[in-house]
Amino acid sequence: MGKTGVIIGREFNERVRKRSFVLTTILTPLLLVGLMVAPILVSRLGPDQKKEIIVVDRSGVVAPRLESGERLSFRPETESLETLKEKRKDVYGFLVIGSDVLTNSRNVQLYSYEAPTLEVEKELSSRIARVVEAEKLKAYRIDSLPQILQQVKTEVTLQTFRIDEQGGEQERSGVLSTILAYLSGFLIYVFVFLYGAMVMQGVIEEKSSRVLEIMVSSVRPYELMMGKILGIASVALTQFLIWVVLIFLLGGVVVPLVAGDALAEGTSALSGGMAGAMGPLSGIDADSLEAFRRVTDPAFLGRIFVGFVVYFIGGYLLYAAMFAAIGSAVDNVTDSQQLQTPVTIPMVLALVVMLAVMNDPDGGLAFWFSMIPLTSPVIMMARLPYGVPFWELVLSVTLLYASFAGMVWVAGKIYRVGIFMYGKKPGLKELMKWIRYKY
Amino acid sequence: MFRIGNSYLMEIVRVEHVTKQYAGHKALDDVSLAVPEGCVYGLLGPNGAGKTTLIRIINRITAPDSGQVWLDGRPLQPDDVYRIGYLPEERGLYKKMKVGEQAIYFARLKGLSRREATLRLREWFDRFGIRPWWNKRVEELSKGMAQKIQFIVTVLHRPRLLIFDEPFSGFDPINANLLKEEILRLKDEGATVIFSTHNMSSVEEICDHITLINRSHNILSGRVEEIRHRYGENLFQIDFLGDGESLRRELGERFGTVEGGEESSLYDSLRVRLDTPDRIRELLSLVNDRVAVRGFREIIPSMNDIFIKAVEGKLQI
Repeated sequence: MGKTGVIIGREFNERVRKRSFVLTTILTPLLLVGLMVAPILVSRLGPDQKKEIIVVDRSGVVAPRLESGERLSFRPETESLETLKEKRKDVYGFLVIGSDVLTNSRNVQLYSYEAPTLEVEKELSSRIARVVEAEKLKAYRIDSLPQILQQVKTEVTLQTFRIDEQGGEQERSGVLSTILAYLSGFLIYVFVFLYGAMVMQGVIEEKSSRVLEIMVSSVRPYELMMGKILGIASVALTQFLIWVVLIFLLGGVVVPLVAGDALAEGTSALSGGMAGAMGPLSGIDADSLEAFRRVTDPAFLGRIFVGFVVYFIGGYLLYAAMFAAIGSAVDNVTDSQQLQTPVTIPMVLALVVMLAVMNDPDGGLAFWFSMIPLTSPVIMMARLPYGVPFWELVLSVTLLYASFAGMVWVAGKIYRVGIFMYGKKPGLKELMKWIRYKY
Repeated sequence: MFRIGNSYLMEIVRVEHVTKQYAGHKALDDVSLAVPEGCVYGLLGPNGAGKTTLIRIINRITAPDSGQVWLDGRPLQPDDVYRIGYLPEERGLYKKMKVGEQAIYFARLKGLSRREATLRLREWFDRFGIRPWWNKRVEELSKGMAQKIQFIVTVLHRPRLLIFDEPFSGFDPINANLLKEEILRLKDEGATVIFSTHNMSSVEEICDHITLINRSHNILSGRVEEIRHRYGENLFQIDFLGDGESLRRELGERFGTVEGGEESSLYDSLRVRLDTPDRIRELLSLVNDRVAVRGFREIIPSMNDIFIKAVEGKLQI
């Protein structure tokens, strides 16, 4: 361990002192918190300017009932559109409502000086629709209709429970689980590749600059490889921990500050923004407030955190060993592309399967892919927020770390041969041959 | 079995019938040699002869297809390489790391404590006059400068066996001299130095023993002085004052080949090739009779001549 320790020390110090490390470590949480806060800020800055809209209502039904709000103000006029256009150039636009709007709801036009935002369009249409609906309902002559409607109106928030083996019930939220599952699976994927590639580049650098030749007379190649893998692992964990702390600190300070007393509004915008950023998962902010409250449940978060660290380390080690072997076999990064492909495929496959797994976190697909060590880090992280039986976790983690041990042995063999092979670009077959190579 | 000259010194390295085949060509073919402890041992040979392959085999970087390497009378073990100070031909350092920090790193990998490494490095840096480089990055150094650092790193942990692959390449004459002195100093301190080179002047100056490798074969091994005498051609030079023309004629009749010696304004000079060294007395008394002799010596071939002749296949071995 002595020499490996010296190598780990160098890897760690050299990398942590790099300006790029300091920058990404500090900027990433800032960026993330910024992304969370931005929607809140935008929603608060948005309504600053009131938009004045002149309403030319030929039906005489809608205009009186359009109340000016925070963002839009309405002014009914009776003159024709043409004369109004001449006279008033300082307004946002002109809303023309056809005389037959009650029967032909399409006969509504907005003329504006600037392209109307989606928000304005939506608000106008829904307001007019409400007025028209109310008018139509009036025709049925039911007196207490508004009250009835008020009473009938229902919103359902689904609470989901998972029945575990002991027959107990565990509450879990679908929305939150989906967000967390997606996020942690994806993060594992990114981190494993990010730091795995770092290992590969480090090995290639040492090989092409011939530093390795000097070191062979002082260190076993195996120690050299393990030192690099573990050194970069310590860099990764340091960076990750700093990120977690910074995000919680920044999130804890900035979010309430920006949201002010409208915290509820803020949080809903916050998780709405998160969901929006997630692309395929947008439109799930229905019970986001409830979900967000559960984010702060320390036991739940702790479980995810521990799972993340365990699977990240395992996945990283497994892939880093393969990346180290690839790096040792080639002379420069461009040559490594071909050999990287077989390593990349299982990871990309995991990312694809992950989406299916989130729809059915307890199905056969989910089970098998969370057992196969090459895909288990991503898939298990995607399953974890939904709850996974304990024995499955133990089995999957054991398989992952056992296969790491095996992979390191194989990679060490390839590495030993590879670092002194220059010139020719070896194929996968050749690497397999190196495993049985005698030296 | 294989023996070097008359020396019965303890052997530190023995290479026995080593053969190494690469795809397409044989790098080493049945090469044997023995390195006595405490000497400077030169591995000579033209480019591509197999010197580096042999060195890499001794360092266990590559394995021989057949044959065996012994260290201190035992077959070479995997951990033996950690007792060797090895300076590879292709030298490399971490470009972004600072010189001092990097030297300490390599020293620690060789088992020195940080304290000990710093102390020894300071001493070496002072001796080479490179103290100001301590905090520079390697990428700021010239090639020769980086090579000095690597030399220091190689010898810092005072291994008993040092192997340098082409240590002089890339050095200017001044630094090459500095390196020669250091190699001799290491020898005085008891280390055995094996180095490969095609710089022949360094061979005569510092090598005790050599092995000449050509086209993957060991074609010549032995003590430098002994080899030079062994391949002496009984060529003798006489510096004199007197009638050169008649002497030349007379010598030509008695001994055969006569040629002009080194030009000098002070005296004339002739070279005579004898068919056997036994006729030295005959030559001397004849010459002494005819002219005033100012100098008489055997012309011993330089290693450079032997090298070129051996490689070109003109040498009777």
